[in-house]
Amino acid sequence: MTLWRTLTNGFYTENPIFRISLGMCPFLALSTSVQNAIGMGAAATFVLVWSNAAISALRNVIPDKIRIPCYIVFIATFVSLVDMVMAAYAPPLHKALGIYIPLIVVNCIILGRAEAFANKNTVAASLMDGIGMGIGFTLAMALMATIRELLGNGTWYGVNILGRDFANQPVLIAILPPGAFILMGFVLGGFAIIDRRKGRAA
Amino acid sequence: MAETRTFQLSMSPHVVSALRTRRVMFDVVIALLPALAGAVWLFGLAGALLPVVLSVVTAVTVEYLCLRLMKRPVNAALDGSAVVTGLLLAYNVPPGVPWWLPVLGSGFAIVVAKQAFGGLGHNLVNPALLGRAFLVASFPVLMTSGWSAPFDWSHPGGSGFETHGIPASELASVPGADAISGATPLRVMKDSFGDEDLRRSAAVERALASGGTYLNLFLGRRGGCIGETSVLLLLAGAAYLVVRKVLELRIPLSYLGSVALFGWAFGGPSLLHGDPLFSVLTGGAVLGGFFMATDMVTTPVTPRGRIIFGIGAGILTVVIRRFGGYPEGCSYSILIMNLATPLIDRFTHPRVLGEVRRNA
Repeated sequence: MTLWRTLTNGFYTENPIFRISLGMCPFLALSTSVQNAIGMGAAATFVLVWSNAAISALRNVIPDKIRIPCYIVFIATFVSLVDMVMAAYAPPLHKALGIYIPLIVVNCIILGRAEAFANKNTVAASLMDGIGMGIGFTLAMALMATIRELLGNGTWYGVNILGRDFANQPVLIAILPPGAFILMGFVLGGFAIIDRRKGRAA
Repeated sequence: MAETRTFQLSMSPHVVSALRTRRVMFDVVIALLPALAGAVWLFGLAGALLPVVLSVVTAVTVEYLCLRLMKRPVNAALDGSAVVTGLLLAYNVPPGVPWWLPVLGSGFAIVVAKQAFGGLGHNLVNPALLGRAFLVASFPVLMTSGWSAPFDWSHPGGSGFETHGIPASELASVPGADAISGATPLRVMKDSFGDEDLRRSAAVERALASGGTYLNLFLGRRGGCIGETSVLLLLAGAAYLVVRKVLELRIPLSYLGSVALFGWAFGGPSLLHGDPLFSVLTGGAVLGGFFMATDMVTTPVTPRGRIIFGIGAGILTVVIRRFGGYPEGCSYSILIMNLATPLIDRFTHPRVLGEVRRNA
């Protein structure tokens, strides 16, 4: 697999959210607004890229039996960095994301890529994989947040799109937890239809 | 292969009965019509009939489109189940809501609660109630306030209700007023509970004072959703269903019985000071108990299971009314028990003839 293929793999073919269904917790909880979604996507991507690189670089040194705790140490280090940087330079976003920033430590995408990819590939490939997966995650978050913010608030990135009448009486459930699950079902259904049209196994 | 078969193998049950989906569904529609007539009498054509018609038309149309889209037999759209869902959804919205509200709720009920799960017989919860839950979560203001008071035909020009101490008949004489809004009896009671000073006073009496007498509650002359107010007309419809052997009374009786019992025990300002009659006559208890907690798809099939279902929904209704955030918990209690239905069926599974009881 070329580096380019490794990079684009995460965009669609193996999109972490819509294809391998990892990282559902931050995905469902923080896709309430496009701003939150992109903030979360950027934070997770940063952690993913550097933890992938670090774990890949040390893959021959880390003892196999305790590899998971080792991964967690790396991931937690980068999460702490993100947490502090965000608190210092983007306090409103930091406040909006709240508990979900420390929880990036247990984001399944990051641990999943460490275990499934960085553990057995070169540093360059792992970097590419981290960037690709991170972009895939961010795109998925942004797509879901676009739907939810438009329906539930009438806005996109805080800008009113659907008019004041709609914003006064939006479909509130879209930005509530049940709406996340319902819309997720429809989006996954949409991807299944696309797959079937293409003649691929879903 | 098929020609060489000499036996026809089929799953149990092997009992053939005259009950067919279409017959059952249209019996339910007939049973719901008196309440619709009552709603039109109380809330007017625009307030009650329009939402009902829109909701039913949407339900059938959306069902047809869904079946078409999924390449399933479209005749199923005409089996009457969509009509019942549309009717019940509209009965669960306040009178005089904007036209798009029942349309949206009805569409949601069919698409998400019913067709997404595989259509009639496969839905986990009552579609109409999920549609209502969707509307309450999405449009809390429209769904839980601005109740129009029923029109009182004995006092031309106004309703017999009092709102904020002012007789509604006086309010109605205000030029330009089309309808009068007032709180539902349950909302009045809930607000009384919330008020520390009033906590010890008889909340039910305050609610009764605002909503009239037991007789008014029985006849439906109170604020409430379109189809839930007239207990008399709902009971008339239920009696028709019992005569037609469509309705089985275990769930409604155990449900209303436990609403009364637990409403008496816990629904009042202090223990054992609730009002059992008030608990049953207000809110959606009668509509829910007879027409929504008895949906054949989403309720237990065993006799014991049905009684457990009714009691469970009754307890939850009282708990939500007394301690929850909403004044009425009928719809949520039935939805929660719908989800417990597979479990109830499993544990009340009757012993097969000849099966030896384990650990006997």
